[in-house]
Amino acid sequence: MSRDSNRDFLDPTVLGKLLGLQLNARSPMMGNVSGRHRSPVRGSAIEFAQYRKYVQGDDTRRLDWRTWGRTDRYYIKEFEADTNLRLCLIVDTSGSMGYGEPGSTRLDYARRLSGTLAYLAGQQGDAIGLYSGSVGTYRETPPRRGPQHLGLVLDQIAALKADGETGLIQAMHEAAEKIRQRALIVIVSDFLFHPEPLREAFQHLRFRKHDVSVFHLLDRQEIEFTFDRPTRFIDLEGGASLLADPTLIQRRYHEAVKDYLETINDIVNHSAVDYHRTFLDEAYDQVLARFLMGRNPKTARTAR
Amino acid sequence: MSFLQPILLIGLPLALLPVIIHLINQQRHRTVRWAAMMFLLDAKKMTKGLARLRQILILTMRVLAVATLVFAASRPLAGGWISLAGGKADTLVVLLDRSASMEQQNLETGESKRSTALARLADLIEKTASGSEIILIDSATLEPVKVTDAAALRDLPATAPTATSADVPAMLQKAVDFLVTNESGRTDIWLASDLRQNDWKPGSGQWQALRSDLAARKTVRLFLLTFPSVESNNAAVTVSEVKRRRTPEGLRLVMDLAIRRQRPDAATGDETIPVEITLNGTRTVEEMTVSGPELVRLGHTIELGSGNERGWGRIDLPADDNPADNHAFFVFDEPATRQTIIVSDDPLTAEAIRAAAAASTDPGVTYESTIIATADIARIPWEETALLFWQAPLPAPGTPSATLLQQHLTAGRGLVLLPPSDDGGAEIFGVKWGDWIGDEANPLKINWWRTESGLLANTRNGAPLSVGDLTLFRTRLYSGETQSLLKLESGESVISRVIPDGPSSEGETDSASAANSLYVWGTLPRTDHSSLATEGVVFFVMTHRALEAGADAVSRARSREAGKTALSGYPKMEALSLGRESDTLLAPGLAAGAYASGTGEDDRRLIALNRPAGEDDTRVLNPEALENLLAGVDYRQINDEVGSGSSLASEIWRAFLIAMALALIAEAALCLPPKPEAEINPLKSMT
Repeated sequence: MSRDSNRDFLDPTVLGKLLGLQLNARSPMMGNVSGRHRSPVRGSAIEFAQYRKYVQGDDTRRLDWRTWGRTDRYYIKEFEADTNLRLCLIVDTSGSMGYGEPGSTRLDYARRLSGTLAYLAGQQGDAIGLYSGSVGTYRETPPRRGPQHLGLVLDQIAALKADGETGLIQAMHEAAEKIRQRALIVIVSDFLFHPEPLREAFQHLRFRKHDVSVFHLLDRQEIEFTFDRPTRFIDLEGGASLLADPTLIQRRYHEAVKDYLETINDIVNHSAVDYHRTFLDEAYDQVLARFLMGRNPKTARTAR
Repeated sequence: MSFLQPILLIGLPLALLPVIIHLINQQRHRTVRWAAMMFLLDAKKMTKGLARLRQILILTMRVLAVATLVFAASRPLAGGWISLAGGKADTLVVLLDRSASMEQQNLETGESKRSTALARLADLIEKTASGSEIILIDSATLEPVKVTDAAALRDLPATAPTATSADVPAMLQKAVDFLVTNESGRTDIWLASDLRQNDWKPGSGQWQALRSDLAARKTVRLFLLTFPSVESNNAAVTVSEVKRRRTPEGLRLVMDLAIRRQRPDAATGDETIPVEITLNGTRTVEEMTVSGPELVRLGHTIELGSGNERGWGRIDLPADDNPADNHAFFVFDEPATRQTIIVSDDPLTAEAIRAAAAASTDPGVTYESTIIATADIARIPWEETALLFWQAPLPAPGTPSATLLQQHLTAGRGLVLLPPSDDGGAEIFGVKWGDWIGDEANPLKINWWRTESGLLANTRNGAPLSVGDLTLFRTRLYSGETQSLLKLESGESVISRVIPDGPSSEGETDSASAANSLYVWGTLPRTDHSSLATEGVVFFVMTHRALEAGADAVSRARSREAGKTALSGYPKMEALSLGRESDTLLAPGLAAGAYASGTGEDDRRLIALNRPAGEDDTRVLNPEALENLLAGVDYRQINDEVGSGSSLASEIWRAFLIAMALALIAEAALCLPPKPEAEINPLKSMT
């Protein structure tokens, strides 16, 4: 854990509570070093996987001599290969992520989520990468292991700024193209744009066999829209401002929100995305605990 | 629209308050940095039309509510024809019919047509015409009077009841003359009348000029406040032909008494009416039974008794719908000598007339007849002459003789113009002699004579005079506007009554009586001209009827119709009895009553004033006749009822308050939130 003041999104108490929980992937990962996670490649770890006939060139040290003694045939005993996990964080830094009071904006919430996850992954020896950006400011930090890299990622998370129109779809496609091996991709965004392009982006990531998780950050006011007098709404992404009497448009607003959420639900359901709708007034440690437990086969039921 | 508190209308801009508050609210909006603009834009797009309309409606309702509140506080008036017709007039001329028929009352309220009209007009003026110049022209005096206080309209002497009749065309002419003289701007003329034909004189030649005058004045509007209803429970009494007779049994008063009644059952039922007869202050009550609509007692006799050789009397009926026709006054005195003067140089004619005029028809009356040659006109005793036969060239107007003749007629005395044998003279009273026609060999044939009135009218018992038996040989033609009493087969008039020329004037009563007493005879009572002298009955009757018509003027007791000039010329007038006590405040001649003039025995005259006979004529103008009379004139008619409590201009602030309440209700309805079941909670629907 960093002692720098710009890493105040990391709360030692929360980290202490969450360290007991393991960050798991829902599917086997392709790491480059040994680790805690299942790999699609058979290796020589502790957990038995299968027997197979010896072929020339196999390491004779992996012959099962007991089986040879019983059957007089050469078999190679294979074990599950445990490998490390690549955690790729994709954080939306569009202007709309700046919504909220200073110090508790949506981006601040995203920092806490992504920073804590990065720290947890770093502690497990997993590689961490960070993809972020809005239109025109795309940033990419490929996943690597090591405390030094973790520090770099945390610094970059701390340096994120909400500005401009969203470039999330582009960032998702870029990540899908650039992350060649299977990885756990965690997307933190408000998705405040017309959601249909998301469907293709999710499918792109799933096509690359990535395990995709989504934290959809919303403020309750954005959903309930409980303003009671004329208000000028200033677009955080630089669009034109709008003066409206909320009492007159509330009903239509709710209809629009309902349509939007139904579309999001449909997209995530069809894309097999681990979707977490998160409100900014929720405690992020609980959100993360629920997320982590949901990914652990032993605690998944409890988490739900 | 007019208002009782127009000053409060300065608060009308307050109606813009909701709009201003709305705009201020728009300016006072808070600013929010917002991320979910996509939802806002969608919602705004969806609600653009309806929400805007709703908002405009809400604002409109609020503006209406405040505006109607301000209007209500300003006490608006409805029915104010002045204001409804386009604003307040500079001048408001009130023409008030003060005729006797306007005294028809509503017995429940005690209000008459006249007082109701005055109340309406006073109320209207007070509410809608404050600041306008108010001019009152009443039918009795026809004098424009400026009214400063509309509330006092009912208390003015010029609006009090009279026993006169009205001349509506003359009133309108007065109003037009006033407007011309004073160069009045926008003017409203309010004419309050009961639409009686007798007052409106639909046959008057004045209407044509009036119509064009009123139609030409675009700034003048005419409003008729009419009370056309006729009495349903009324009886009217009239007396006429009052004569004092000396009989062996003593002095008697003979009169024609008529009681006309208007009751629902007047045509069939009998009714006994207690008639109060007052003679020199002594009252007696006689019950008279009226069968049918009218009781006429010709020659009704009242014993005078000793000490009642002269005096006054009145006949009163019980109270009913119209108190103005419940009394009739009469006066009596020693009959004046029936003095007839014949100005003629024709002895045959003059003698025949003298003989007829000197013959007595009434034992109690002295008849005298004098022949004066045309050269001795100065000898005529004008003051004592009841009837003057003028067989001499007609004097030219402006000459002394013409002036004397005019004064003679104006005083109500009789004048018969006879044809001079040669020079006819000038034109006077519209009459000018023409040529002689006929000769003894070829008698002129009589074609027609007037039997209902005039010198040749039927006798009292309805029998016609034997005019058809007359033989006419010669007659002199004459020109002028006359009412023919006897016509030849060839169409020429032989005997006529002269109709006054020109419109009636203020001295109408005298003019009318003068006209009634001016006759033209084209033939002479000579055997070579006619059989008038030989067939003496017709000639005798004609002479004495003409004499009776003029005799009233020389009588010491006269009966006249009430009018502005009815008592003019009588000094030191004293009222002996009046129809009502308040009549003492009226101008002389306007109230019915018995009056005495002069101080000494010699110059003392008694005068009885009664309402004109036409006031008992209940016929009213029908709408078509009124439309014809005022064709082309911009007028509005408001029919009213006697004593009704309605107002020409009534306050309608309640209507404005109701409108305000409706506006507020509509505003509340528009502001209602959507139904709860239709509310959409996106979070609930997703869970």
